[in-house]
Amino acid sequence: MNADITVDAKFKTCPGPLIALADAVSKAQPGQVVKLLATDPAAPSDVKEWALSVGHTLLAREKSGDVYEIYIGVSG
Amino acid sequence: MSVHIIPSLGGGMYHMSKIALIVASEKMDKLFPAVTLATTAAISGWDAEMFFTFWGLLALKKGYEPSGVTFDYRAYEGKLTEALASGSMPSWKTVLEQGLATGRIRIYACSTSLGMFGLKQEDLESFVDSIAGAATFLSKAKDANVSLFIS
Repeated sequence: MNADITVDAKFKTCPGPLIALADAVSKAQPGQVVKLLATDPAAPSDVKEWALSVGHTLLAREKSGDVYEIYIGVSG
Repeated sequence: MSVHIIPSLGGGMYHMSKIALIVASEKMDKLFPAVTLATTAAISGWDAEMFFTFWGLLALKKGYEPSGVTFDYRAYEGKLTEALASGSMPSWKTVLEQGLATGRIRIYACSTSLGMFGLKQEDLESFVDSIAGAATFLSKAKDANVSLFIS
């Protein structure tokens, strides 16, 4: 999946990845895709719950080695 | 980030989720989880009410930096300072500032503790919203979905 913006939060523990993602999403345009790279094992679940709370779309969660790639569609 | 109102399940009323935290320790191992929850709530569109009381009030003093962890857990202090030094864990103040930037966290300083330490509001960080007593905090916290005492 292609992303407009990539946030690298590898090796950061909770709440680092989510704070970094939320910051990037707040600066993104509606319709853009933001990709989060994280190694925190809580990130996939945390991002899913956060997206549900704030109304952005969780597009995909993938894992490549030890790195999670989580894609968020920015809502309007 | 735009604000999203989450409709409640019944009655057509709108209700924003809220967390209420009482912070009664100024130690790093207590401040970190408190601000992690408040900031995560705030960036998730929740309101967060934080009441700093007893030793927790010391964390609101201007320029305060925690000097260590709770006495019982001294043996693990190195792990925490290592994580902070490596950058994998942000400082408690960094996490708090990121939450405060949403405008959804309110910070109250306990009036009784302030008197006990002989402190005045001008001795406290500017992000402290007000000095409050138990009744004020209860009124702010009564509709919280999550309420925790961290000590």
